[in-house]
Amino acid sequence: MQKIRILPILTFNGFALVKTKQFQNPRMVGNPVQSARIFNNRGVDELIFLDIMASKQNRKINLNLVRDVIKQCFMPVGIGGGIQNLEDINDLLKIGADKVVIKSRAIQNPKFIDEASSFFGSQCISISIDVMNVDGIYYIYNHGITDILALDFILKMQDLGAGEIILNSVNNDGMMDGFDIDLYNFIESKTYLPIVMVGGGGDLTHYKNLFETTNCEAVGSSSIFYFTQYTNADIKLTLQEIGKPVRFSKQ
Amino acid sequence: MKNTVIIDYGMGNVASVQKVLNFLNIPNIISRKHEDIEDAGFLILPGVGSFRQGMQNLRDYELVDILSNQVVHQKKPIFGICLGMQLFALEGTEPTLCNGLGWIKGRVIKIQDPKLRIPHLGWNNIIVKNDLLHDFQDQDFYFIHSYHLELEDANDLLATVEYGREYTAIIQRENLFATQFHPEKSQHIGLQLMRFFYSHYAEN
Repeated sequence: MQKIRILPILTFNGFALVKTKQFQNPRMVGNPVQSARIFNNRGVDELIFLDIMASKQNRKINLNLVRDVIKQCFMPVGIGGGIQNLEDINDLLKIGADKVVIKSRAIQNPKFIDEASSFFGSQCISISIDVMNVDGIYYIYNHGITDILALDFILKMQDLGAGEIILNSVNNDGMMDGFDIDLYNFIESKTYLPIVMVGGGGDLTHYKNLFETTNCEAVGSSSIFYFTQYTNADIKLTLQEIGKPVRFSKQ
Repeated sequence: MKNTVIIDYGMGNVASVQKVLNFLNIPNIISRKHEDIEDAGFLILPGVGSFRQGMQNLRDYELVDILSNQVVHQKKPIFGICLGMQLFALEGTEPTLCNGLGWIKGRVIKIQDPKLRIPHLGWNNIIVKNDLLHDFQDQDFYFIHSYHLELEDANDLLATVEYGREYTAIIQRENLFATQFHPEKSQHIGLQLMRFFYSHYAEN
């Protein structure tokens, strides 16, 4: 039986790992290589590392740093940040990334996703869907609100060959006050792609609530790992208690 | 000690396989050179991407004949991972019907289940059908695939995985063995499996 995935999301600003609140006010939370090593030792299911300033600052992700992060990981790793073309993807896959996470380029030029998935295979191509709720309607957020409807964009990405959706709630990001359950339920029945729900996990009851009230199969988190004592194992024990299939790694 | 050759045919993922072999102190190189393949004691065919692209690259790099010779005639042990496993088959269908290496009787077809998310992505436990792998019964490995290998000969099947229904997870036929999942991405249990396959098949 397939297990629920719990993924730490590492967001990087070019210098250090940071954590935002509603995608604003990043504060430093640590060192990427060290964090990756700790998460690997804890037997996390997968790890996502994103340089959240690369596209905005018009630069590429630092491949040497990414190589060092990946070196720590014996589980799958997704890397994102400033991916503009096939060569950028190839550079990341060559140094050991299992998936690449694309956002800005997918919004600027959706056809790129068709190109990328045809060349590298859908399973390498994850799309980061950052969503903001404005008066009850979900729009794509990209360093500011856009007029693109989130659902339309997700379906387009699906058609163009994306392999996975990382669904980020901007409103709930870093608030540690629970997940956007409505967002998950709104999206999930309309796409067949695997979805990683992200944004709002602050204590164990939030995860219990998410998995009791939705069909969620994977969740990404950041704040809970940096600002509380809870680890991925604690989250999994909570899920196991409510009858969800989880994986505990042999150490 | 003879080298393990991780076959580089441009279908990704060779770095992760090498990382694991290095961790296990298994001497290895990444190569597509004929002389390296001929000198190798053990071959690994990894792979991520489409069946057709995989076969195209093998042909473009002139690897089909030498690999078939080494594997089928010289009986050199070879370990296939994910797409690598699928290419062992008679034929694939991604994106359209095309010939595989033809070493294992079976075809690679799309996972079709309207109730399931595609690709089959994440950790899932294997159901071991053969006592050889009893240490790995029910262990979780990392899967990521939209196509699966439908075997003609049940004797080739060592383990399945359940995702809606049972799919081929591990195969073995003489000197060929392969996994649909990524042992190099499956942390401790994955390392253990790779060490097992290596000591069981390559160190003889």
